[in-house]
Amino acid sequence: MNRKRWSCLLIGLSLLVSFFLALGTGPIAISLFDMSASDKVIVFNLRLPRVLSAFFVGGGLALAGAIFQGLFRNPLADSYLLGVSSGASLGAAATIVFRLASPMANFAALSFFAFVGSLTALALVFYFGHRNGGFSIFRLLLAGLGVGLFLSSLVAILMLLAGEELKALIFFFLGGFSASSWETAWISFACIPPAVVTACYFAPELNVLLLGEETAESSGIRTRRIQLLFAVLAALLTAISVSVAGLIGFVGLIVPHMIRLLSGADHRTLLPLAFFSGGVFVVLCDTAARTLIAPAELPVGIVTSLVGVPIFLYLVGKQPGDYNL
Amino acid sequence: MITISSVNPQLAIELREVSFAYGNRLVLTDISASMGAGELVALIGPNGSGKTTLLKILLGFLPPKSGQVSLHDRALDSYPVKDRAKAIAYVSQQPAPTFPLTSYQLVSLGRYPHASRFAFSGADAAAVESALEETDSKHLKERFFGTLSGGEKQKILIARALAQSARVLLLDEPTLHLDLYYQLQILAALKRLCRQQRITVITVLHDVNLVSLFADKALLLCAGALRAFGPVREVLNEPNIKDLLGVEMKLNEDIETGVRYFIPRDPFNTRRNPN
Repeated sequence: MNRKRWSCLLIGLSLLVSFFLALGTGPIAISLFDMSASDKVIVFNLRLPRVLSAFFVGGGLALAGAIFQGLFRNPLADSYLLGVSSGASLGAAATIVFRLASPMANFAALSFFAFVGSLTALALVFYFGHRNGGFSIFRLLLAGLGVGLFLSSLVAILMLLAGEELKALIFFFLGGFSASSWETAWISFACIPPAVVTACYFAPELNVLLLGEETAESSGIRTRRIQLLFAVLAALLTAISVSVAGLIGFVGLIVPHMIRLLSGADHRTLLPLAFFSGGVFVVLCDTAARTLIAPAELPVGIVTSLVGVPIFLYLVGKQPGDYNL
Repeated sequence: MITISSVNPQLAIELREVSFAYGNRLVLTDISASMGAGELVALIGPNGSGKTTLLKILLGFLPPKSGQVSLHDRALDSYPVKDRAKAIAYVSQQPAPTFPLTSYQLVSLGRYPHASRFAFSGADAAAVESALEETDSKHLKERFFGTLSGGEKQKILIARALAQSARVLLLDEPTLHLDLYYQLQILAALKRLCRQQRITVITVLHDVNLVSLFADKALLLCAGALRAFGPVREVLNEPNIKDLLGVEMKLNEDIETGVRYFIPRDPFNTRRNPN
């Protein structure tokens, strides 16, 4: 109980600090307590939507990773390995290339097609990963790897087909928050928090699923329904994240592991903590990405890997017990 | 006869002419058996004889193609899944969790059908404690499950099923890969549950001597058909074992304890069974 209260406090505090830091720093340092008119424009029109987008995307990626790892009972599963990110980026790329909507004007359409893409990828993974009415985790992961590579090559073909949209595509897939606006912030706000709440509500079921499908079924869980629900939630989180910020690796893989190593595998704490820490982590990484070599920007994915991987590797060594793949 | 009916006043599970097929392949034919409260029933049969399918039917995962299964005098398929989970618990052979859970957390998962989504009540905690007690694994509760030995892990997995507070417990080869000490410890714990709490334990077992030592009844499955079902002393005999396992075994009785045990007649000459 006490530990729970401490982690809540810690999360709240780091949330506050990271937001202040992110809003105040940048190519121009701004004191949040004494803003001029132009400062206000920068903070409210540029930085705040960007910070909010980064927070929701980071949290969404981390939560999607935590869900996939729990669902597949495998520490390697995440949106990338399972091809779900590739599906989302294919949907987004098709939207741009075929001008289903221009990315700036109609971000909602982009997100929608990214969601369709990620669901399609997931459906393919489950289709190829099942046999005799059952799923083997290994087969699903292999199917995910295959589907991901296949969809990525379709994205590459789209890039070849693209004419003047190529620049928009490249910009999109480099990943980052420089194109974030209030529109991206609002869409993330509309989609991601409801998914977080739903996931947390069904965390007890995900816990029991860790014991395997038969045991879960014999414990009174409608296994298939719960798996479907979580798969769709994770696909949605991935799609929104990809459409806001392109491809940002490692967050979905690493953040849930760090939380698991610090506070255990119970999804009732793991899911909310992964969401908040993923959000804070990406907000801080994005702040670094746009400050370190200002006025130029580093791709945020480089920062997340550079900072995240060493911490992750340190924690892996401290893992109690053995992973059995 | 009188003793048997007085030992089992209450019927836990009844199978009536149950058959099952995967597509056109008939896996179980006409299985009828009834298991009473407080009985330890062993399921024996060679690999591929339909034991796993029978377990899945008893768990309600697979609907029988024909025939009925009733649990506490009510059709098994009429139970909502959560109510079924309160009546039957299962220890499967599936691999244990990959992620760091303590033994206590793992056993607590057994409370899923009872516990509220938001709070773990005193009754839940008490059920977990008593499940740890029954399996003699209280000392393990703060340990991470991944760091336990094979025998300790199996005890925790059984404790999780017990925490479900079900009157019927199904197990799929709970002694697999364990050393003799843990095999005996686990079967002794199951036997205690039958005797003291009148729980019905139905378990797949391969070792006929363990069956002879611990089980009250045995269900012998051969190629999907019921070879025999009844009290162990009646059904576990030389011809049945030869038919079932394809090995000639000699039945002996220990003079001191009256325990029956089997040894292979010609162990160095085991060949493919001509039938």
